[in-house]
This record gives sequence, structure tokens and C-alpha cells, in this order.
Amino acid sequence: MSKQLSVNYEDTIENSINEITEALKGDYILSKRSIALLLLQEDEDVVNMVKDQEVNNFHSIRDIIKETKSQFEKPLSYVISIYRQNKVEELADSVVTKKETSNNSISNTLSKLTMNPITGIPILLLVVYFGLYKFVGVFGAGTVVDFLEANIFEAYINPFVDKIVNGLIPWHWLQDLIANEYGIITLGFRYAIAIVLPIVGAFFLVFSIIEDSGYLPRLAMLVDRVFKKIGLNGRAVIPMVLGFGCDTMATMVSRTLETKRERVIATLLLALAIPCSAQLGVILALLSGNKIALLIWIIFMIFVFLFIGYLASKVIPGEKPSFYMEVPPLRMPRISNVLSKTYTRMQWYFIEIIPLFIFASVLIWIGNITGLFDMIVRGLEPVVGLLGLPKETSKIFLFGFFRRDYGAAGLFDLQKDSILNARNLVVSAATLTLFVPCVAQFAVMIKERGWKTAFIMGAFIIVVAFGSGYILNMILSTLGVLG
Amino acid sequence: MDCCQNKTPWYKKMASILIGHNCEGEVNHNTNGLEKIALVGSPNVGKSVIFNRFTGAYVTVSNYPGTTVEVSRGKGKIKGNEYEVIDTPGMYSLMCITEEEKVTRDLLFTEKPKVVIHVIDAKNIKRMLPLTIQLIEAGIDVILVLNIMDEAERMGLKIDVNKLEKELGIPVVPTIAATNKGIDKLKERVDKYVKTA
Repeated sequence: MSKQLSVNYEDTIENSINEITEALKGDYILSKRSIALLLLQEDEDVVNMVKDQEVNNFHSIRDIIKETKSQFEKPLSYVISIYRQNKVEELADSVVTKKETSNNSISNTLSKLTMNPITGIPILLLVVYFGLYKFVGVFGAGTVVDFLEANIFEAYINPFVDKIVNGLIPWHWLQDLIANEYGIITLGFRYAIAIVLPIVGAFFLVFSIIEDSGYLPRLAMLVDRVFKKIGLNGRAVIPMVLGFGCDTMATMVSRTLETKRERVIATLLLALAIPCSAQLGVILALLSGNKIALLIWIIFMIFVFLFIGYLASKVIPGEKPSFYMEVPPLRMPRISNVLSKTYTRMQWYFIEIIPLFIFASVLIWIGNITGLFDMIVRGLEPVVGLLGLPKETSKIFLFGFFRRDYGAAGLFDLQKDSILNARNLVVSAATLTLFVPCVAQFAVMIKERGWKTAFIMGAFIIVVAFGSGYILNMILSTLGVLG
Repeated sequence: MDCCQNKTPWYKKMASILIGHNCEGEVNHNTNGLEKIALVGSPNVGKSVIFNRFTGAYVTVSNYPGTTVEVSRGKGKIKGNEYEVIDTPGMYSLMCITEEEKVTRDLLFTEKPKVVIHVIDAKNIKRMLPLTIQLIEAGIDVILVLNIMDEAERMGLKIDVNKLEKELGIPVVPTIAATNKGIDKLKERVDKYVKTA
């Protein structure tokens, strides 16, 4: 290989680099020239690393840096990067030639349309309507779930399992573990396979297409202005939208936000107001039969999201974020990529939920046998009573502790038995959406934000969830909406 | 994430399943003791796609920046030699702003990869080459990958790869990773580079 390219910086800087490289005695994986440059740019981590390694002559190194710094008006990091950039411009101009083309105009126009508020918002609504409501809500959660639930599980599997288990196993306690109302197969598997999986699958499919097309960064540009009001910027759209897939994953992605303040606000809002795909799908399915109920739920969720975000941005101290993000080109998603992605996500999800749903069934079974479950449910009954909900729903909130979708799936059962009226449905759906994040998300919250923050958020969320449910019920009953 | 490592005891596995450690995009190859090849570059240039091509593993790939937040490791075979291939979160510069950039830089600081593959978007050479220069300055063995060549060509960009290679003094390989174009060439160059380096 020929000689590698090297950038010559201004003489003053080159001299300092030489002095520093001579002073550096430690062992570094990166070249000393590079360490010297990072030191001159006052990179905190590198300064600390060198401080540890060069116990004896760190002072003289620091003096060189100070001395060099004093000779420039602008920060050294700026001066150095300008030199580099010039070199790159020169280099790029000599190797890249551009001939004018116009065949990108369609994707360019489309790209502009998605980011302009006047056309962007209708486009967003179209995406939400067809992608989420029609495909996930009506087709995935309606058609497919109905078929699996009614035609497969209720008609064949559950009665069959009940019959076999109750016929073969003489002990009532063991029968209940496997079959009957809360059995591993009749409840756990049914929730996982017949309710949650089809919904999540439909969602992942739509999500993968949206994701690969490059629409999300454009959405970020579009909502940047609104997000500024709640202490976030457009960049936070990415974790927020990911939250609609899985809040656990999204909480992890909030790491890409720049300031600690943003990360805290994003984590809180994810835990509180963003339903995950499974929960969203089930709730969409529940409410899609009643358009007014669905509309009330959506408006209420957006209101709580913005209101709590606004409050949080007032209360939580810290610097305001700036906004910088790459906008990649719009691309035609590749079918093979979309399918393999959807498949991988479904597989991952399935592997994750099956043991959990089994575990939840077992816990509920233990709870039932020991009476502990009844105790908690009875304890919750007055609380749900305040929200105007029938006492059966207290069970749902207990389910919700295990997983967001588990609780929502339970709501599905209650609606089928016509225990809930329309108002109950909206209130319980809203409360459950706001209610505690699932165990997985909570664990990631602890990991990313620390115990203290996570627990404060958890407590806050429980209060806000039931408080909001109470207020929503009051408003609806005062106005006489939905019975 | 430890939930996907091979030698995790069963109770930890169970716990991580219950707590729901997110294993999406994780690859569970045992890569102890292998030479390392690291993929670095700005967000959204196709590092994860190339990682998939090298390891045959499936890591979630998306068309928006900032989605790789963890380091993924997998085993890849190049010309009969096995390597540990490392996919990293996006990084714009050796001077770090975000936490994800720090993750990548720490990796370069501590793990001493045999070769670092700097993946850039061929459409935005000017914005991305400064990192290449920083990597060269750092004395790292770098291979530059000009990815997404199809879109660059559609924009009417013509890049003199040989000249760029000569000027930079490091191997430069044009690719379209999404359709597997140029990947074999890249593997060849990695192999050659490792043997002469």
C-alpha cells in the first residue's frame, strides 16, 4: 500500500502535537498523534485517560494544551476540524464528478410533502388510518383474532383440553393449572397465540415497511415543533414511534438522545402514554367496534401525552436540546427484507411471551389457590369502582402488572361476555394504557435510568393512570357521552 | 447483553426471559480468541447490513439513524479464516457527543481490532471522510467502504475509486450491501489486508 494520507495542521498545532507525543509515555492503542489531537480538542474522556497514565508529566502536557489554546481565538476542536474538512473537500473534489440528473424528482417531491405540516399531517393520518387502523386493528385484531379465537380455540382446543384434562386428572387443583378458566393452555396459550401474536405480527409487518421506507426521520422533522414544547425534539420521535412496537426496546433506544433530561422525559412518556404493539392492537380491536369510543381514547391519550410531557419539561431541570438528524432518502422497501424482519421479530416476540404467559398463568393459579389473588383483586375493587368500572376489571389491572398486552387481552374476554358498557370500555382501556409498564420495560428503565428514577416514575405512573381514568369517567358521565 | 451468550446458566436465562431482556438483533456466536473486525461509521450507512452479510446472522436493519444501540458480535468466515465481526452504534467523529458514540470509541480504544471497516454513504463522501482521516491518524488499519453506490449513481455521482484509494493510501471498496454487490470483493480485500498488515 502506498503511503497513508496525513493532514498537516497549522504549524503551531503541529508543534504542539510533536511536544505532546514526546511527553506521552503510556501505552495507547491509538497512535500518539491521534491522542495528542484529541487532547488538544479537550475531549474529556481522553484527558482523563491520559491523566491516569501520565502521572508524572500530565502537568506539562496540560501546559502545552493551555499554551496552544491561547494562540487561537476559536476553540481548537473547531480549528482542527476545519483543516480536516478542507483536506476532505480538496480530496473529494478531485475524485468525485457529478453530472446533473433529474430522475430523483418523484422521491424528492414526496420527501418534501411528508415534512411540510400542511401536507405532512394528512399523510401521517393516512398512514395511521390504513397502516394501523385498517390493517392492524380491523384485519389483524379483528378478522384474524376472531377466527383463531372463536373458530379454533373456543370451538376446538379449549373444550378438548378441558375434557381431556378433567377426564384424566382427578385432582381439581391440577386441572385448573392446565385447563379451565385460567389454565396454562386455555388462558396462557390462548392469549399468546390467538390474541397477541396475530396482532403483533400485523403490526410488525406494517412497521417494517414504514421503517424501511425511511418515513420515520421525516416524521421526526414534522413533529419537531410540537415536541419542542414538551422538552424533547424531533429526534425523540424515533424512540416514541419504536415504543408503538415495543416500549422495552424503545426505552433502550432513548439512549440516542443527547441530554439526560431528554432521556428521562422520553422514558417517562414511553412508560406512561405509549401503548406497545400488542396492547395497542388489542385496544384497537376492542374499540374499533365503536368509533366514538376509539376517538375519545385517541384524543385522551394524545392529551395526556402532551400534558405530562409539558409538565415534565417544566419540572425537570437541564439544558434544552438542539436538533440534528440525518434524513436518509425515501426508499422502496425490499419485500424480502420486510418479510425476514417481520418474521424475526415475531419469532423473538413469541419466544419471549410464551414463557411469560405460562409464568403468568402459573402465578395466577398460585394466587387463586392461596387466595392471595382474590385479596389483591378485592383490594383493587374499590379503586376500579371509583372509575365507574365493574369489579371484574380489577383482575385486568393485576394482569397488566405482568404484561401490558396480558391485561389488554383480558379486557377482550370481558367485552366478549358483555360485562363492560361503552364508557367502561374507554375508561378501562385508557387507564390500562397509562398503567404500569410491563415487567420487561420496567427492568430496562432500571438498567438505563437507575433504581431511583425508575421507581419514582413507576409510582407517579400508577397515580396518574388511575387519576386520569377517574377524571375521564367523570367527564364522560357528566356529559352523558357513551351511556 | 448476557441473555444471549452461550454459557449463561439456566436460571439466568429464565430470569432474563421473565424480565424480558430484549434479544432482538443479538447474535450468539462464541467468538473467544478470534481476530476482530470492527464496522464503524455514521448512523444509517449500512453497517448492520454488512454485518449480516459477513456473519449470516440477522440483526435488525432499518432505514433511520440511531437504531443500533448495542454492539453486536458475530462469527464471520473470510477465505477460510474465522473472525469476530463487530457491529457498532453510529459515530460521526472520534470526538464524541452522544453515549452511543462513546460506546464505539471505547471499543476502538480497548479492543484493538485487526481491521476497522469504515462504512460510508457514497452520496455524502465529504461529510464522512473526516472520520476516515481520524481513523488513519489514529494508526488504525482502515478499509473504506463506499456503500449505497446505487443511489449515488442515480444521483449522477461518479467516484474515481482508484484515485481515492491512492490518495488515502488505504483500500477502498464500493458496495451495494443491500443487494450483496461488492461484498465478495470486500472480503477479498479484508483477507489481503490482514495478511499483509
